[in-house]
Amino acid sequence: MTDLRLYSNEDDDVVRGLRALYAAPEGDSYWNELESRIMARVAGVELGWWSELDRWMRPAMAAAAVLLLAAGVAMFRAHEAETEMAYDSMLSSPTVPVATAIRPALQDDREAIIRFLFGHK
Amino acid sequence: MTVDTGTALMTAAPAIELWYRMPSISDGGKPDERALVIAAQRGSSEAFAALVRLHQRRAYAVCRGIVVTHEDAEDAVQEGFLHAYRALDRFLPDQPFGAWLYRIMANASLDLVRRRKVRDADELPETVALPFRDPGESDELRRRLSQSLTKLTDRQRAVIVLHDVEGFTHGEIGGMLGIPEGTARSDLHHARAALRRMLKDVRSDL
Repeated sequence: MTDLRLYSNEDDDVVRGLRALYAAPEGDSYWNELESRIMARVAGVELGWWSELDRWMRPAMAAAAVLLLAAGVAMFRAHEAETEMAYDSMLSSPTVPVATAIRPALQDDREAIIRFLFGHK
Repeated sequence: MTVDTGTALMTAAPAIELWYRMPSISDGGKPDERALVIAAQRGSSEAFAALVRLHQRRAYAVCRGIVVTHEDAEDAVQEGFLHAYRALDRFLPDQPFGAWLYRIMANASLDLVRRRKVRDADELPETVALPFRDPGESDELRRRLSQSLTKLTDRQRAVIVLHDVEGFTHGEIGGMLGIPEGTARSDLHHARAALRRMLKDVRSDL
């Protein structure tokens, strides 16, 4: 391809000039120092409130799940106890035969209907 | 010989943990980049520091190709690594880390160039372009080259430096700058032509 060379041979000095202008700093000390600066800024990010929040997110979610589960179990047990108490109170109340309790009412209704049909006598 | 299994496991536990936490080293003594990325994603700042060590020179080259001064390139590199650190959990380790990182670097540099332009427009309305501050700028050609580069568009300058100085391909440059490969190719062509035109007289004097 034509782009493999920047210029023709007489332009090599321009390429050299470009490379000199854009040469990266030499020496490990420079790069070590830059790395330190980058990592110091990264550490600053870690200390931010949002990362702190992020760090606490998982334990908070787990705690919330445990609380929900505990609340669910407590509610289920309370409901169970309530039902049990209702049965107990029903069973312990004095027993009234169903037929005797209902029949008079039914009988009254029937008599009222008959009276209505046969002309209020 | 009988070995107490419990004792053996307890003895091995730190080694297992170390193996789990620390990225492996490939044959050439170079840390396995994928393992470093995964460790960094799990919160290891040592692994992220290793990634910085691996990529900072190339990252600087990318930024230097886009911004005007060495100081701006340093700022852009730091910003870029910060962005990368924040976005690390969204990176898929199976993708090439370098390409992803250099795109972030290019974006950080382009942001910086935009901010500088706004600031310069506010502060220095009469200034056309700031010259390069290069202590090695001694001869006439280099001085003129510096001036000529400031007359290219930001994108043309970035493309010519990234391609001809740093050796990136058109595709890589397109990916970094967010332009089609063909546009990078055409920018390179125009940048070269412009430099030839601007440096014609000085080169004939040499």
